[in-house]
Amino acid sequence: MISRKLYFLGAIGALGLAACDNDKLTEVNQNPNSPTDAPTSTLFTSSARLTAARFLDGVGGTRYGFLAQHMAEVQYPESDQYIRLRGNNAAGLFSTPYSSELQDLQLVAQRGLAANEAGTYGPALILQSWEFGYITDTFGDVPYSQAFKADSGILSPAYDEQKAIYAGIFANLDKAAKDLGAASNTLGGSDPIYGGAPAKWQKFANSLRARHALRLVNVDQATASAQLQAAFSGPGGLITTNADNALIQWPGDGVYDNPWSNNFKTRDDHRVSDRLINVLREFNDPRITVLAMAPDRDAEAVEGRTTKWCPTDFTTNCYIGLANALTHAQASPLVPTTSRIGGIFYPGATAYGNYGGGGSAYPSPLMTAAEVLFIQAEAAARGLGGLTAGQANGFYQAAIRASMEQYGIPSAQITAYLASPAGTLAAGNAGLIQIAKQKWLALFQDPLNAWAEVRRTCQPATVEPGPAAAEAILPRRLQYPTNESATNAESRAEAVARQGADNLRTRIYWDKNPTAAPTYQAGCGDRAS
Amino acid sequence: MRNSLPGWFAGAGLLLGSLPAISVAQQATTVSGRVLNEAGAPVQGASVSISALNIGAYTNAEGRFSFSVPAGRTGPATVTARRIGYSPASAAVTLSGAPITQDFTLRTAATQLEGVVVTALGVTREKSQLGTAQQQISAEDLTQTKAMNLVQQVQGKISGVQITGAGTQGGSTNILIRGANTLAGNNQPLFVVDGVPVSNFNRGGTLSNGYDFGNAISDLNPEDIETFTVLKGPNAAAIYGSRAANGVIVITTKKGSASAGRMRTELTSSLTMDRPMLLPDFQNQYGQGSAGEFEFVNGAGGGNCDGCDQSFGPKLDGRLIDQFTGKNQPWVAHPNNVKDFFETGRTFSSTLSVSGGTERANARLSVGVDNVDGYVPNNFFQKASGVLSGGLQVNDKLNTTATIQYIRNNGKNRAGTGYNNSILEQFFWFGRQVDINALKNYKQGGGVNGGPDSREYNWNYNYHNNPYWIQGENGISDTRDRFIASAQATYQFTDWLNASLRSGSDIFRFDVDRQFAPGFLNGTYVNAAYNGGFQFTNDYNNEHNTELIVNLNRNILPNLAFTAMAGGNVRREYYSNESVTTTGISVAGIYNVANAAITPTLGQEVRRRHVNSAFGSASFTWNGWWTVEGTARNDWSSTLPKGANSYFYPSVNTSIVLSDAIPAIKNNVLSYLKLRGSLAEVGSDAAPYQLQTLFSGNPNKFGGLPQFSLGDVLAEPNLKPELTRSSEVGVEASFFDGRASLDATYYDKRTRNQIYTVPVSATTGFAQKLINAGEMQNKGFEALLAVTPIQARNFTWTSTFNYAKNENKVLELAPGVSIINLGGGLFGEMRLEARPGQPYGAIVGYGFARDEQGRVLVEDGHPVHADTMSYLGSIMPKWTGGWNNQFTYKNLSLNVLFDMSRGGKLMSYTNLVGHYSGVLEGSLLGREIDWDQPGVLFNGVNADGTPNTTRVNSEAFFQNMFGLAEPYVYDADFVKLREIRVGFDLPQRYANRLRASSLSLALTGRNLAVWKDVPNVDPEFAYSSGNFQGVEYGVPANPRSIGLSVRITP
Repeated sequence: MISRKLYFLGAIGALGLAACDNDKLTEVNQNPNSPTDAPTSTLFTSSARLTAARFLDGVGGTRYGFLAQHMAEVQYPESDQYIRLRGNNAAGLFSTPYSSELQDLQLVAQRGLAANEAGTYGPALILQSWEFGYITDTFGDVPYSQAFKADSGILSPAYDEQKAIYAGIFANLDKAAKDLGAASNTLGGSDPIYGGAPAKWQKFANSLRARHALRLVNVDQATASAQLQAAFSGPGGLITTNADNALIQWPGDGVYDNPWSNNFKTRDDHRVSDRLINVLREFNDPRITVLAMAPDRDAEAVEGRTTKWCPTDFTTNCYIGLANALTHAQASPLVPTTSRIGGIFYPGATAYGNYGGGGSAYPSPLMTAAEVLFIQAEAAARGLGGLTAGQANGFYQAAIRASMEQYGIPSAQITAYLASPAGTLAAGNAGLIQIAKQKWLALFQDPLNAWAEVRRTCQPATVEPGPAAAEAILPRRLQYPTNESATNAESRAEAVARQGADNLRTRIYWDKNPTAAPTYQAGCGDRAS
Repeated sequence: MRNSLPGWFAGAGLLLGSLPAISVAQQATTVSGRVLNEAGAPVQGASVSISALNIGAYTNAEGRFSFSVPAGRTGPATVTARRIGYSPASAAVTLSGAPITQDFTLRTAATQLEGVVVTALGVTREKSQLGTAQQQISAEDLTQTKAMNLVQQVQGKISGVQITGAGTQGGSTNILIRGANTLAGNNQPLFVVDGVPVSNFNRGGTLSNGYDFGNAISDLNPEDIETFTVLKGPNAAAIYGSRAANGVIVITTKKGSASAGRMRTELTSSLTMDRPMLLPDFQNQYGQGSAGEFEFVNGAGGGNCDGCDQSFGPKLDGRLIDQFTGKNQPWVAHPNNVKDFFETGRTFSSTLSVSGGTERANARLSVGVDNVDGYVPNNFFQKASGVLSGGLQVNDKLNTTATIQYIRNNGKNRAGTGYNNSILEQFFWFGRQVDINALKNYKQGGGVNGGPDSREYNWNYNYHNNPYWIQGENGISDTRDRFIASAQATYQFTDWLNASLRSGSDIFRFDVDRQFAPGFLNGTYVNAAYNGGFQFTNDYNNEHNTELIVNLNRNILPNLAFTAMAGGNVRREYYSNESVTTTGISVAGIYNVANAAITPTLGQEVRRRHVNSAFGSASFTWNGWWTVEGTARNDWSSTLPKGANSYFYPSVNTSIVLSDAIPAIKNNVLSYLKLRGSLAEVGSDAAPYQLQTLFSGNPNKFGGLPQFSLGDVLAEPNLKPELTRSSEVGVEASFFDGRASLDATYYDKRTRNQIYTVPVSATTGFAQKLINAGEMQNKGFEALLAVTPIQARNFTWTSTFNYAKNENKVLELAPGVSIINLGGGLFGEMRLEARPGQPYGAIVGYGFARDEQGRVLVEDGHPVHADTMSYLGSIMPKWTGGWNNQFTYKNLSLNVLFDMSRGGKLMSYTNLVGHYSGVLEGSLLGREIDWDQPGVLFNGVNADGTPNTTRVNSEAFFQNMFGLAEPYVYDADFVKLREIRVGFDLPQRYANRLRASSLSLALTGRNLAVWKDVPNVDPEFAYSSGNFQGVEYGVPANPRSIGLSVRITP
């Protein structure tokens, strides 16, 4: 009896002892699924992929692609009408990049700097600058100098003025280009853009610096010119041939496909904008066959239009663009009679038929020779960055050639095009308009960049809100995501107080002086009606 | 010891202080008899005992009992018969050695204010001595009607418990007890079956996508359940520890008992017919198309709007138009084209149990089978369960019991959920002229009507798959194999001290196989360029608990009873998940990893948690009417930081039966009055692996390159446990000799130091930060009122009303955090939030812009959208209630249960999308005559304050409403006729022919009628048992079921 009691008491005691060994208990809490550290190279691969997929998409998710009006929405035109671009709809261009790839790029840069490996931190700084360029050009003032400092307890980073962000971008690109000169290739194959080649990254750094320098030209021509000059003379040179283009080559393996082709697999609500078709037609541009396809049905017969549907007998008139931001009822009937985007962007089989192939693996360009050459052309035409007007036509023609070669246009057609009036740069503002329109065409796969250029140059002047758009002016920026009001309210409020109301109409720093653009036209971006 | 039994009893009697004067007799006295209910039916499982002697027996199926009092015990004694659900009855007898026959008639306790109830840890106690709120449902109440989920069968029957039935058949049932406690964690209660915590694992769908595979508690067969007790808050459940903060549901299963050498067989069978209880009201005046135009060429945009999926097309006036069924078809409405898609589902359910036993050993074996033929085509569910339980009184001291339960649960071709996957989805994006019957023959292929050859025959080739094809060609199957087992040994040291050791496990493997045929349009599952895809996931869950408890139960003074309990528990949880997913396979129809054309994404996750606990309780009862009880518990959890992973929490409660303390207050009106009060605290640990920010690997290589990324959640290495503090006071009273009774409770509970992630500005590099902050309060009042207005010889009417008002308020979030986003709507027009000062689950979204006078601003005839989101209401109901009426006339009975909810809001995407797309009746606004006239005249003012006079056409109007949430936020109020049961006990002679003691038939109905505010949808819906609720899209209404059941008892 007694012994049994003791036995049970002993058992209770044992259980109690087990309960006391509780520090050991916490060893169970080692996460077996995820490591506490990861190789730097793997962070870079992931970041490069995400960064390109996010800012070179524009047709899925946020559908910011319609802002540049290369494309128009044919069935559910809410994005084209700017309705689905409000509030949190743009969070994917703000919140997610900071917490995903920008944070990882910050780690890569920090580790590279700590190890004094320019081959590591150089590409990280350049890619981060590339991405910050898109973010600030989309929203204006955003956190920059205080971002990624949660470790130091900064949970409400201040918003930097866009001017300061640009200065930061210039400084980082300057450092990257310089240091990469003596760098060894540390990223190697884990760099999906250049295979880690420092010389190529140098070119990208200088070219990107030129892009941002020119962006400032309406508000701070002196800085623009100085930065252009620094970029043009930066160590390692510029991207001037397509072989040096900064591209993300999509594996096209079904997991990582080109984001456009991904969208087109199941959605058929994008058409080429009539703005784009008209510019292509205006100069009888052979790129029309690559960027667009003939519609399913003869619009002449259906709509009584003057244009003709002619899939076999090629003329540019075979292509029919869609007006931007029509009403639902206006746009829907135009599905069969307007041009889809070119077949090279299609994945092959789609849910609604086969409209071309190869799009899954089609590369997305982060920066191309054509863009750089157009920057040089404009700088030259305006006498900026140490270039002179006499050099402008050369750059202009080289830029068009680079763009056409990028899309595989046969050399003879390019030569013929360059021989036409569009192929020669006119003097003065007419020439600047030519450059702006050609550059806008060349940025077809880079809709955010093209939208920024439209805002800066006011060209093509036909880019304006469609009849059913929710804004009467082409959006000048997008709204901060609503999360920021909840989590970083004071900093956001400071930015809004400084920059202007948080709506689609407020002009960001480099857009404050639009009339300074020589290509400015009265009522620029306003809806005509 | 064997010789000392009489001495033992003498000692026990002395200690219990109630030993009657008993002198020594020469032979044992046999006490036997029968226990019947008011209707004269035998009461099985009643305990009949002489408590002073600690001796007694349980009644068998015939209500008979028999026990013998050892020789040497004579004199007067009190025999008491008790049964859960009945008021106890006592009789005085004199023990003399001569056999005594004593029968009892037990009266049903309307609300069971008195009697024995199951409490925490499965201990049965006198309800009058409980200081906390709880409510128990008997087996009979539980199985009035048949639903697919056990929890749904108690809907409307328990005050303070909000149960939301699933949207899809077999889907998740959400249950909240006294509101939501935790901002971001689990708000579902803990389920405990025969002392073993069991998992209510949920694999739900979402608003935008997925499949709802239900929650695991539905595995339990209601027919095996003896009692279902809801411990409503931390106060009643403190002893369960960390997981008691949301309340505990304690379930005991049926057991075998002494059966005098006979086998006891019970058979219950039911057949139920199910259909969705309601479908949206569709318009039948306009067909597919836009701007009044339509022409079918290839269904993919080749014709005029033939790739569209809205119904703003031509008037359905019989004109001839090219359609997917052929050229020049009459353009007419198919008013039942949605209704006809649904079939009548059938649920066939049977449970057969056999049990028996002797005085020393007993066993019960039960086998249950559910066969459900779902109401969407080709959808089936099967459940088979077997329970074997046994008890062995090894000797006078040692009693052992064990239960093992095996369940196999299988679903086939469940309907999907949400915007991209719901089976109803395409009926909201639809042509009202579509002949659904023509779609049945999908195998003829898309080439037949000019569509893509690779696709099935369909009405549209842009956005939708043929719904018959979806259900017929895409194999979605899920299987759960589960064991719940426990063994317990109780050693009785003395009659006042025992110890029991219990060890139990709940182990299941849950396989979900999703196979998608080529052409499945949802890109999440199939890449259009490949031949189909698959998703295989495999969950394994194992929770093991071992518990040692020492119970002490003796009187300190003659009038002061003392019980105490001390124990320890060791809990080990292990969960793992493996998944293989690809959106592209090479050869159609072979859903095997070897056939993957796109490298499959492999997923693997393991989670472990260990918790050790020590706990105890002590209670004192004075004269049987005043009880004071205290509990204490300390947990050590593996998930909290080293050195700081111990947390302690106490509770205290008291109850006073005033009508016993001051018998003078009893009169003709008041028969019983009890007051109770309780204070409790419960701590909770964190989920595993929250203390460190980690890098996550991407299972997909980018062109062969490995990818890692730093996690988005900033970890908190110094986490403290979450604490819920709750106080409650209650009153229990009965009147007119029990003809009316009231059980009411007021409670106030607050959960602070909440462990959850708060959003931080993503510009920090993190999307969220784990914190220990915030406080949420639930205070409320719940009452259960029962009256028996008529109690005649042959006719009884009992009416029970339960009511619960819960006021939920988010008191505080983390410093610097003003909003927690619980989830977003479909297109950015709304979100569900937690905001300080407002109830949890605030619907925040875009509304109309208004002028200073509150008038809606209009521009060009269209309402102007506000620039910023505003608060549009909370999903939390202000009160919920249930009203049950039971009528019995001779051997006929009728039960009618109404279930209601008032004061909550819901966001309806069915209405948003269905108006935008022009399929709902409401979208006829402005096109009553024709598609472009007379137009919508919106009631608002222009910017200059003048009334709007501009008419706009219907299509443009609803298109302009896109982006607004306000017009689609509705009152979620409803009253449902939840259950009707007409029961008939056949006369005994029929039962006798089957050698049974009773044979009953019942006609049952569930969800027969609803009164509601929201148009087109059932205000009650869920995709999962997570915290994102109250936002609806395309959820089929809960089933309306009509059934017939037969019960044969031995």
